[in-house]
Amino acid sequence: MPPAIVVDRLSVWYDGVAALRRISLTVPGGAVLAVIGPSGCGKSTFLRVLNRLIDRVPGVRWEGQVYIGEDPVLSERTDLTRLRQRVGMVFQRPNPFPFSIFDNVAYGPRLHGVHDPKALRQVVEASLKKAALWDEVRGKLRRPAATLSGGQQQRLCLARALAVDPEVLLMDEPTSALDPVAAARIEELVVELKGRYTMVVVTHNLQQAARISDFTAFLQKGELVEVGETRSMFTAPRDRRTEEYLTGRLE
Amino acid sequence: MGALVEDQIRRAVRALTERDLGAAREVIADDDRVDHLEMDIERRCLTLLALQQPLAGDLRVISTVLKIITDLERMADHATDIAQVAVRLGDQPPVKPLVDIPQMARLASSMVRAALNAYVHRSLEEAWAMIRLDDDVDRLFAQIFRDLLELMRDRPDTVAQATYLLFVANYLERIGDHATNLGEWVIYMVTGDRQRKHLE
Repeated sequence: MPPAIVVDRLSVWYDGVAALRRISLTVPGGAVLAVIGPSGCGKSTFLRVLNRLIDRVPGVRWEGQVYIGEDPVLSERTDLTRLRQRVGMVFQRPNPFPFSIFDNVAYGPRLHGVHDPKALRQVVEASLKKAALWDEVRGKLRRPAATLSGGQQQRLCLARALAVDPEVLLMDEPTSALDPVAAARIEELVVELKGRYTMVVVTHNLQQAARISDFTAFLQKGELVEVGETRSMFTAPRDRRTEEYLTGRLE
Repeated sequence: MGALVEDQIRRAVRALTERDLGAAREVIADDDRVDHLEMDIERRCLTLLALQQPLAGDLRVISTVLKIITDLERMADHATDIAQVAVRLGDQPPVKPLVDIPQMARLASSMVRAALNAYVHRSLEEAWAMIRLDDDVDRLFAQIFRDLLELMRDRPDTVAQATYLLFVANYLERIGDHATNLGEWVIYMVTGDRQRKHLE
């Protein structure tokens, strides 16, 4: 069972300017949380706290805590290498390394000390299968990743994330650079991987959030306006601001 | 569409009480108009769903409209059924003066009007108020049922006509139930909660 994510009174500031204000929510293990909200609402910041990518931003400060399973994320003692192995991430634009397909997927396992060719082949194949890319690339694993289509590249990035056996997957607008068919495949994958990984998906596409997520969090100006089951939020939101955002009447 | 259906109910019962065959045939003919309106509104709702992908309140409005037009169409069918009874009875002399049936029809059609007002005003109070009227419709139905049964027992020659009138009362009772549905859908549209009358 993948771990739950518990966010406890999380605040983040960039150079003293609040980007997130006292966010508290829980994602049950194996569930998909969609994070929605207007640009600049703090969605990406929220995602980048979960794997501590936020550390790279100069002038950043935070308060509160995030737990993945039992383990605090925002602690001096958090092992970032281990954290990023447990928490994989897929970005908005497919960002394969300028290597072959095989080496892209094998990159993480090698970094974590797997060098046996047979073991690497196995993990590459298994990861590509999980990312529903295997059938399209088998026999072509030595080709440069850049020869793949955008949608294939995005699935390759997902396979790369899955290769180190994570428990949590973060996706930052994973389909916004893809055509509808490629986007649908990524959505199918999210639904398929549900239960095996706890997932947090930032998206501007409300219909996508509605289709793939179990829970939705609506952020506005760094505040968590509403969080709840997707099916009830998308039919009958509790907060007037959520209603306005979902019906396109916000500001 | 709502105004037409509301009017159909009144006209159907008036055609029955006044033995007005022309009016009855008009009600029957209007059923096609209601069917076309239903299809037209349905098509527009489906287009909105497909092209706009509405959410939250907008989604509830459209699903409410889709449900309401189905209920309205069923009510129009019942009004047509009543008009058909009027045609069938032709100019037979009435077995009894009709008092409760017109009263029931007034109530049922005012429920429809009140439900549509509640929809337009997005008013929970109006919806609840009109839903409560259904109890009066049900009481009248029970009353008519008893009266007609008694009449049939006392004067077996009235059985044929009284049975038709029983049908009419039954159609009106069904119209009341469909009107209640309208009110329940308005409540859903406003609150997002599906409340049913029997859960009160």
